Amino acid sequence: MKFLKLYKNSQVFKIALGIAILVICYLATVFYTQMRELNKSVAIISNSNETQLELEKLLSVISIYETNLRSFIITKDENYIRDRFLSRGSIELNLKNLNNLASNNALRTKDIDSLKKLIDYRFELFRETVTIAKAKKVDFNELNAKLLESSRCTDDMRAFVYETINRERIKVKYHNSNHHFELQGSAATAFLLVILSLLILLLSFNKMRVDLHQLKRANDELKFLNYSFNNAEKIAGFGYWKYNLETKSYTFSDNFYRLMGIDPDKTKPDVSEMGKYLHPDDYERMMKVHNDSLENLEPTSAMCRYVLASGEMRYIMAVGNFTKNSRGQTVKIGVNYDITEQFLNTRELEENNRELQSINEELESFNNIVSHDLQEPLRKIQMFISRLEENETQKLSDQGREYFSKIKLAANRTQALLIDLLNYSRTVKGDKDFEPIRLDDIARQVVHDLANTIDEKKAEIHIGELPQVDGIRFQLEQLFTNLLTNALKYSREGVPPIIHIRTEKIASRQTHNGKPVTEDDYHKVVVADNGIGFKQEYAAKIFYLFQRLETDSKYSGTGLGLAICKRVADNHNGFIKVKAKPNEGAKFSIYFPKNKI
Amino acid sequence: MLTNESTLRILLADDDEDDRTFFSEAIAELKMTNQLTLFNDGKDLMEYMHNPDAKLPHILFLDLNMPYKNGLDCLKEIRADQRFKNVSIAIYSTSSSEKDIENTFVEGANIYIKKPNDFSELKKVIKEVVHMNWQFHSSGLNKETFFFSI
Repeated sequence: MKFLKLYKNSQVFKIALGIAILVICYLATVFYTQMRELNKSVAIISNSNETQLELEKLLSVISIYETNLRSFIITKDENYIRDRFLSRGSIELNLKNLNNLASNNALRTKDIDSLKKLIDYRFELFRETVTIAKAKKVDFNELNAKLLESSRCTDDMRAFVYETINRERIKVKYHNSNHHFELQGSAATAFLLVILSLLILLLSFNKMRVDLHQLKRANDELKFLNYSFNNAEKIAGFGYWKYNLETKSYTFSDNFYRLMGIDPDKTKPDVSEMGKYLHPDDYERMMKVHNDSLENLEPTSAMCRYVLASGEMRYIMAVGNFTKNSRGQTVKIGVNYDITEQFLNTRELEENNRELQSINEELESFNNIVSHDLQEPLRKIQMFISRLEENETQKLSDQGREYFSKIKLAANRTQALLIDLLNYSRTVKGDKDFEPIRLDDIARQVVHDLANTIDEKKAEIHIGELPQVDGIRFQLEQLFTNLLTNALKYSREGVPPIIHIRTEKIASRQTHNGKPVTEDDYHKVVVADNGIGFKQEYAAKIFYLFQRLETDSKYSGTGLGLAICKRVADNHNGFIKVKAKPNEGAKFSIYFPKNKI
Repeated sequence: MLTNESTLRILLADDDEDDRTFFSEAIAELKMTNQLTLFNDGKDLMEYMHNPDAKLPHILFLDLNMPYKNGLDCLKEIRADQRFKNVSIAIYSTSSSEKDIENTFVEGANIYIKKPNDFSELKKVIKEVVHMNWQFHSSGLNKETFFFSI
């Protein structure tokens, strides 16, 4: 694995290749030297062999001469000696050859010189012997002495030659063994050379194959990336373009053309073509933005409209920024994307929003009319009623007095309704300035405010420990006021109300709108009474506007109180629930989030 | 201040004729020694106030919603003038909106009265306010005590 990693690292591979080539060079040099040595050895051996041959030839010539001389002495036939001993003939040729062979060897040249002297001396002896043998009167003693001398000389010569031959033979033997050794060395070197070259060749080939494979894979990936990008462009509805500030050339992506409604395969128009599709009102502005950015190299972001050939209008967001390409040239890269849908949606939303706002404003002024302007005449009616009540009721008949009290009741009810409407509209408005509020302070304040009613009803109020929450003071006051007023109002006849305001633990596995509600996330504040209660099946209904369960006139109500409570809980990112049983009481639970959302 | 003078001077500026009637009737029924002057709008009131011969009131009941010059403008004008520093101002309005209460408190009114819808209540309010120890009330004034409740 590690090797493979090293192998893949081209730097390491290059170094290895360099070392291998150096080794091959070294081996080749060694091989060359060895071959030269070998050559030299071969030359020496052949030289030596030739020398031996010449020497032996020389000896045999001398022997032939001796034999001929003997034959002449015995037969006196002149044919045997015919001038032979005067000219040395082939021997001179032999000597010349020997001299040539020994041309580089001073020692051998010396030897040959001595040999030459010996030969000269021998021929001298030949000639003297022949002269003696030719004489009319042969002096056999002299002849014998000459022959003996000749024979001794020949022996000397032979000994000398054999000695030389022997020396040459030893030399040949030495060189032969050397030659053998050198041959072995050269073969090993050659083998190493071949193996190493083969190895390098194989490694290089494999490396090349791996590299090619990788290149192909990278190429494939790039192709796929390109393909995906083109597809992504199409799907996402954007197109990109590049402008090289150095070469002043534009490049456009396929989808860039499609955005303008042009088929990218059919035409490859240039920048001026673009202008044709730009909305005439946007043309100058867009060109200015673009050209300015090319001057100051600031990123651009602008919206424009395309008018397609079909006459359709598309809204396009065009953004651009500058970067450097691989050659260090400044390039502006831009992306145009189609925001027609978003733009139209936003525009519609904005219109709706404006409409809603105006409706809201109308509603608010309507609310103001209802709560303030209607209150004014109503207050006067009540004022006049109180004036009449004080001084004039005695003058009315019983029937008249009854009508009068009904008028008063109706006026009071109207007033309660108006106040609740005003309160409700105040909770609808988006005032969300939260502040930390101690709920027990609020509860005590509300109990204090309702002291008259509480005394009237002889009610018992128990305030337990309540948490601090982030909230809107007047809304929380409203919440507790309404819940307490309800608890006091819907009490059982003859049973003094007992009302508990306290914190309770949240039961496990409690949910709200499908989400779990836990002690970690919520405070649960409870307002429980022992009043007339109601059937649990109406629990959800009572929080809706103008939903009243009790129609008995002794329980006056506007149908807004609990709707206000629900709104307040909603406004505090909490919620309100109720549990009730007829003639046992109702328990309202308000859940306040522990963390401010 | 009240102890030094036998007659208490009260001003009411209110554009509503009925309210002016209720107010003067209530004062009459309370049988107090006082001198009540009524104004139909803020402009009339301020003309009277700026008259150097006029005797300054002890208490001014000021409606907010009036033509020509509204109550808040009158309040600002009066509180900007050192000459009127001893005039106690009671806002007397139908509105009980936080905004009106807040604004008049900030501008230096002494008390805020929401017009009652019962005549006996009105009498009670006037009685309480007239007999209020203003110095004590003003020294401990805060937003809670500013809004008058019976």
